[in-house]
Amino acid sequence: MDFRFTEDQQDLIDAAKAFFVGENTVERMRKMVAGEEVDDLWPQFAQLGLLGIMVPENAGGLEQPLVVMAGIAEAAGYAGLSEPYVELAGITVPHSKEDEFKGQIRRAIHSDLRPYEDGSLTDTGESVSSIDPLRNLVKAQGSHGENIESVNFHGAVLAAAQLIGLSKRMVDMSVEYAKDRHQFGKAIGSFQAVKHQLANVYTQIEFTRPIIHLAAIKGGAAVHNAKVAAIDTAMLAAETAIQVHGGMGYTYEVDLHLFMKRAWALCGEWGDRNYHMTKLEDYVLNGDAKLGPGQTFE
Amino acid sequence: MDIEYTSAQKQFRENIREWLSMHVPKERLPSFDTAEGFELHREWERTLAKDKWGNVNWPEEYGGRGLDLVSWLMFEEEYYRADAPLRVSQNGIFLLAPTIMEYGTDAQKARFLPPMASGDEIWAQAWSEPGAGSDMAAIRTKAVRDGDHYVISGQKTWSSRAVFADWCFALVRTQEGSERHKGLSKILIPLDSPGLTRRPIAQLDGDPGFAELFFDEVRVPVEYLLGPEHGGWGVAMATAGFERGLLLRSPARFQEAAARLVKLYKEHKDRLSSGVGEQVIQAWMNTERFCAATYQLVSRVQAGASISSESSANKLFWSEMDRHLHRTAMTIMGAQAELEEGLDAIDNGRWLDGYMFSLAGPIYAGTNEIQRNILAERVLGLPRK
Repeated sequence: MDFRFTEDQQDLIDAAKAFFVGENTVERMRKMVAGEEVDDLWPQFAQLGLLGIMVPENAGGLEQPLVVMAGIAEAAGYAGLSEPYVELAGITVPHSKEDEFKGQIRRAIHSDLRPYEDGSLTDTGESVSSIDPLRNLVKAQGSHGENIESVNFHGAVLAAAQLIGLSKRMVDMSVEYAKDRHQFGKAIGSFQAVKHQLANVYTQIEFTRPIIHLAAIKGGAAVHNAKVAAIDTAMLAAETAIQVHGGMGYTYEVDLHLFMKRAWALCGEWGDRNYHMTKLEDYVLNGDAKLGPGQTFE
Repeated sequence: MDIEYTSAQKQFRENIREWLSMHVPKERLPSFDTAEGFELHREWERTLAKDKWGNVNWPEEYGGRGLDLVSWLMFEEEYYRADAPLRVSQNGIFLLAPTIMEYGTDAQKARFLPPMASGDEIWAQAWSEPGAGSDMAAIRTKAVRDGDHYVISGQKTWSSRAVFADWCFALVRTQEGSERHKGLSKILIPLDSPGLTRRPIAQLDGDPGFAELFFDEVRVPVEYLLGPEHGGWGVAMATAGFERGLLLRSPARFQEAAARLVKLYKEHKDRLSSGVGEQVIQAWMNTERFCAATYQLVSRVQAGASISSESSANKLFWSEMDRHLHRTAMTIMGAQAELEEGLDAIDNGRWLDGYMFSLAGPIYAGTNEIQRNILAERVLGLPRK
């Protein structure tokens, strides 16, 4: 029992985070919103091996488990990464047949791969507008592939991980704002009314991350727990962040909304709160699962 | 990440389970906050100690089994699963013992740990004062050096278990004229010392769960100083780290309550409004989240990390989780919730007891407001002023 990332895994996650945050700056995000040209990150994802995180070693990948991908997804969430990198590397690629890896990665580099593509699902080319200005949605058609359960499992875990990354970013932005913004002759961050709200969000994040990691390793009811916990944490983070930012938080000019809207979007993806809660109803209230101490890791 | 127990650990779990099935009293013991219940719980500590089950993670020389913290978590899981008696020795074994192991002299370890493990000496905590609650650095109780003794005068309060316990560990001002966090020391004091008066305080359930302590020139040998003289704040913070961060409340206690809550829900669900089920699920979810987080914390501690300010998040989480869980039980019980005992009282009033006790959680071990300040200032970096 050592419920931590290995040093190598942590280094990989830290490197990914440094890359995401360093490249996908808010300036870059704003340019993208304005429809301006920005650096294409896909070749770098490929170069850095980020697309092969879950690809078997004999196919040239790093063969890391889903929990490491969850660590990287949290980092991508923190950075507000707009490319559907997590979905590609953590969902599509691991569910592709071995001879498809290279094709998938090439398509990603040419940016014509859609994030939720699986088996016989194809996109219609008809786009749908999301409140998240950096979310490129299209209508899909067809039926789900044969791996749908596993696809949904990966999807829920990685969406949850991105959500707590986004949550932490919103907390950090709020802390910076609260240190900077002065009223009554003081930084508003010195007021307990502000401090305590941010401490609450921090606490929820810290007590959601481990269940996401457990979900990634173990699957099962922990996945539903993780996604619901991540949704509730992210919604709390977003609402707290906008409150701390005051009127500025309600504007399109302050960066907060880019992260907040991504969080709203991911809350509903890969099983919304109703879906996962219904699963938990079956498991906790209507089933005969053994509950109580000593079950969590068995 | 490795979430497998070793085969030795699995065997260990079987062994505890078997021992507990043979030894846990069939009837729940009366509360340890009554004179009779206290002695019955002390006897239970002796029973645990006799077969070395009291403190599995302690070194063998002090009555433990020298096992790691994962084994301790497993012990707790089986312990609560078996519905074994609450630990009357918890202030000693969970809060003081780690501090003695870290700061105590060899003589102190040999003197204090074995009788603590055996239940022969039960400990109370004596930190808070009428004027020093959340603001603990305002402590005024003083200890004046007189030859090879300290002479202690002042007043402590909210001292849990102190009515029936044998010893207390106190935080007092040893340096005259010192202020705030400086000049404090941690001193171990026999509760039957001449000049020490205990006044029981009835807690919410009416039992004397804690006491006020009045010190009128109480003489204590200098050997009972724990850690550096005038450096007691650091020693106390080490205790607080253990208390908030890990040892005081392991996940098993709450997971057991969550499983009972689900059972309670199933028994009553026909008359419940539709939102109650979700509250029950939420309570269960929280206990699982707490368990996962605790295993992650234990993994870090075993790899050499220390528990610091982030332990405040732990204390916030479990105390509010516990209150929510028990409030949900109160909701389910409806008109029966107020019944203390007897045939009509559900589970003989256990949920009511649990709810009342859960209300103390956000207050003891540093109020949740203080924990939020610590997180905001020391972890998030918001300005103190």
